Amino acid sequence: MLIPRRVKHRKQHHPGRSGAAKGGTRVTFGEFGIQALEPAYVTNRQIESARIAINRHIRRGGKVWINIFPDRPLTKKPAETRMGSGKGSPEWWVANVKPGRVLFEMSFPNETVAREALRRAIHKLPMKCRIVTREGGEF
Amino acid sequence: MSEVRLAAEPRTEFGKGAARRTRRAGKIPAVLYGHGSDPKHLALPALEFARVVREHGQNAVLTLDFDSSGTELALTKTVTTHPIKNYIEHVDLLLVKRGEKVTVEVPVVLTGESDSGTLVTQDLSTLLIEVEALHIPEQVEVSVEGVEAGTQVLAGAVTLPAGATLVTDAEALVVAINAAPTAAQLEGDSSDEQADAGDTEASEG
Repeated sequence: MLIPRRVKHRKQHHPGRSGAAKGGTRVTFGEFGIQALEPAYVTNRQIESARIAINRHIRRGGKVWINIFPDRPLTKKPAETRMGSGKGSPEWWVANVKPGRVLFEMSFPNETVAREALRRAIHKLPMKCRIVTREGGEF
Repeated sequence: MSEVRLAAEPRTEFGKGAARRTRRAGKIPAVLYGHGSDPKHLALPALEFARVVREHGQNAVLTLDFDSSGTELALTKTVTTHPIKNYIEHVDLLLVKRGEKVTVEVPVVLTGESDSGTLVTQDLSTLLIEVEALHIPEQVEVSVEGVEAGTQVLAGAVTLPAGATLVTDAEALVVAINAAPTAAQLEGDSSDEQADAGDTEASEG
């Protein structure tokens, strides 16, 4: 599971969710990719689950790139606790994804298999996504 | 690379409001600079510019036609697009002169059918080359016809058009041709995925 090795501050404010992605909006490493269409916090478990879904479907012969990293901690107070007494403890690690961001990329010789693998991965993610291609970046 | 003529008109008002008005009028805000001259702010026809990029690629040499002050040769440096809707928001153009050498990224295209039982992996999709501005190739071709498994094509081994020199590291891997996995290998590999579920805490410091 993806997790930062060392952090400067254990607890942070919630990441801002407004606006669109400023970079990483095109497929640059592989041939196909998953592009986010909504803002979302993607947890490291969801990233891992999507990666496994892709790898199980393509088995071997392809390459997968993960373009996001869960570097923001989210905290949670224990159940049935009164308010106050400080911030809760870190519970999740999330990547702050904005619309337009390409989350995963892959290269695979067979386009039908590649699209099916990405479709399965999209089901593991918490927002609307679409499959994009490198050539699809044309206008 | 072909030379394309585009009508350009100077922009007199700036800022996001003016840029949005320009886009609503079916034009793209653009800027032209280079050779130490002052930048010129332009508006280009949106549909025509998109067609040029689609048909000739981003390395097309544009002849910008100004009504009053003649023509200028320019090369597209950056095209800014909307992250989701995919339309062109802004264009940076670089002034070029005839005979001048420029450094551009040229797409690498694989040709031919590789041997059965091989798997072709393309590592580099573009090569950086230095070439005369009016003779930029649309693409560089690498043939994988009948190439055996275990072969690697490095950037230095790619045939470039006359007058072009490679800027990308000559040792960079462009294409790798490996043996395709057998059915037995595929079966044995499916259980590898769940290996690393180590849930370690990030330490503060």
